[in-house]
Amino acid sequence: MIENFLAGTATLFGDPFTIGIFVFGVLGGMLFGAIPGVSMLTLAAILLPFTADLSPAQGVMLFAVIYCTGTYGGAITAILFNIPGAPENAPTAFDGYPMTQKGMAGKAVGAAVLCSAIGGVASALVMMSATEPLAKWAIMNIGPPEIFALVFFGLAVASSVGGRTIWKGWLSVLLGLLIATIGQDPVGGINRFNFGYSDLAAGIAFVPAILGFFAVSEIFIQAEKNVSGKYTAPKFNVDFPSFFELWAHKIAVVRSIFVGFFCGILPGIGATLAAFMGYGEAVRWSKDKSEFGTGKLEGVISSETANNAATGAAMIPLLALGLPGGALTAMMVAVFQMHDLEPGPLVFYNSPDLIWVVFAAMFYANLSILFVGLIETKTILYLLKIPFQFLAPMILMLASIGAYISRGLVLDVIVMFLAGIIGFLLRRSGYSIPGIVLGLILGKIGEQNFAQGMQMVHYDLGTYFSRPICTILIIAGVLTLLKSLHSAFYQKPKVQ
Amino acid sequence: MGKLSRPDIFEAVFWLLIAVIFFAVSFSFNQPIEIYKFGATGWPRVILFLMALVSLGNLYYAYSKGSKAQEGRVGAKENEEPIKYTSAGQYFKTGMVLILPLVYALSLKPVGFYSGTPIFIALIMIAWGERRVRFILTNTILIYAILIGLFMIVLNAPLPQGNMSPFYDISAFMLKTKTQFDQMF
Repeated sequence: MIENFLAGTATLFGDPFTIGIFVFGVLGGMLFGAIPGVSMLTLAAILLPFTADLSPAQGVMLFAVIYCTGTYGGAITAILFNIPGAPENAPTAFDGYPMTQKGMAGKAVGAAVLCSAIGGVASALVMMSATEPLAKWAIMNIGPPEIFALVFFGLAVASSVGGRTIWKGWLSVLLGLLIATIGQDPVGGINRFNFGYSDLAAGIAFVPAILGFFAVSEIFIQAEKNVSGKYTAPKFNVDFPSFFELWAHKIAVVRSIFVGFFCGILPGIGATLAAFMGYGEAVRWSKDKSEFGTGKLEGVISSETANNAATGAAMIPLLALGLPGGALTAMMVAVFQMHDLEPGPLVFYNSPDLIWVVFAAMFYANLSILFVGLIETKTILYLLKIPFQFLAPMILMLASIGAYISRGLVLDVIVMFLAGIIGFLLRRSGYSIPGIVLGLILGKIGEQNFAQGMQMVHYDLGTYFSRPICTILIIAGVLTLLKSLHSAFYQKPKVQ
Repeated sequence: MGKLSRPDIFEAVFWLLIAVIFFAVSFSFNQPIEIYKFGATGWPRVILFLMALVSLGNLYYAYSKGSKAQEGRVGAKENEEPIKYTSAGQYFKTGMVLILPLVYALSLKPVGFYSGTPIFIALIMIAWGERRVRFILTNTILIYAILIGLFMIVLNAPLPQGNMSPFYDISAFMLKTKTQFDQMF
């Protein structure tokens, strides 16, 4: 492992252009995570088409670095503006924003910097030691029925994230699955739902759909606030926490690393559940639960450690099984596909250099959070002064160009803005955008593997269930759905 | 009506309409596939059936418990209350914000990127409440210059040129100037 890691490090830092991409990813992830209204997903979606000009290792590495630093960057907006940069930063806002209101923003941001770095580095180390053995095992044990079962389980779990109710979570995932059926079917190549447009025969491209659902809809939401005069600039001061303040929460950090890593492994759920569970566990083990939500440092620490601990873990289902653990890892699948590669067990044997460059980059990116993050936090103040009226058209234009360039089709720009409008309306109504995107990404994988699996077992479901991993995953998925269904009928709505 | 609100009913109709329309369209490609028993329609029809079923569940939930968020939902933004519209002007402004980019996208084929973009940038700033003429002009030029500099000059990206006069001529002039600029170095 150490030799491979050193080889990955040498490749990463041996080429000035690759170093440039790494530095760009570190700074870009932090910057976009920290600008209200946009997130690491916006940056990733804009960059997606341009990764076609990079080598596969550079492209995937760039996204992995953005994933690590952007997950931290999103905490800044959550703390300063009560606008989580991504869903995984939402629990950070519970205590981070009240700390800002109390004039303790610096302490909250400082804690987020340190704990994101600790969580991320710990996760990267476990990822490096566990992903390859898991990949070897997967080659021997995983076939189309297991992949389909895993997609089913991932979607079942994903439907529980983001939507205001379980029904809305399911509808979001189903919408994504439906969009994924547009274009040729994966078995017979028959055109489906193209409504007479020949350009739709290839299906809805990932890039414009992701840009529309994440970036454009977010801009529309911010624009709506701007138009309605609800957008308010925050107060800010920089006063970082002392060593003793942080040391007092060491148990919360260790607990959140475990929680984050466990959640990150689950495909389709990733860092979001990790952050919520990390925060929830902190509340559960606290002597004075009533302090949470009023500006308690432990709330920020637990959430930020857990979500960054999930970043490395989320790479395990992506690289070992080809299943994304969240929206950004879903975009990484698109990067692989743009270079005619399929993430999965074979990638370890076909492209070991790529894997270790990515692992090394993630390790160093998490370390960078510690060193660059503290400096960046002070610098970011000036960038946040960019007027929204300037920032928004700029992002929309970048997104338009990004959508167009991927296939050279104006249709993709239209699709992107339509997805933006749909995403905006669905978000206002409490639907889950990550759910839609995961449905869209996993839909084709799921259908293809279901078809191959059924052909393999000659349409005999009994044979399907004679495969233990497949059975366990399907049962787990069904239990998840049943549990959600139970809560949908018997749980009370939240009192607001 | 229980705790149902108008948006809840609208949502249910929206999802059911999608399910019905797509189901009807699925007959247009309902062909057998020799090697696959379920054909091209099997998978999408299951999704549509589930969509219809879940939309009814969503409606029932809204009927019995209202539109509020379910307790314990992971990732639902509890504090994000939708902005309530109090005047027709607000609807118009938000409508413009949503429609303008789509109009820009539709105009890309005839008008092209080079001519349409500065107009769109200025219009979107106006739609988003900016009224300072100098701010709009300066920033439109600045954003346009950054985009042209990055994508046309540095990355040499192929952008839509338009197919209608005089927009096509403007694009051709810009590309010709860029070529001459390249030849200088």
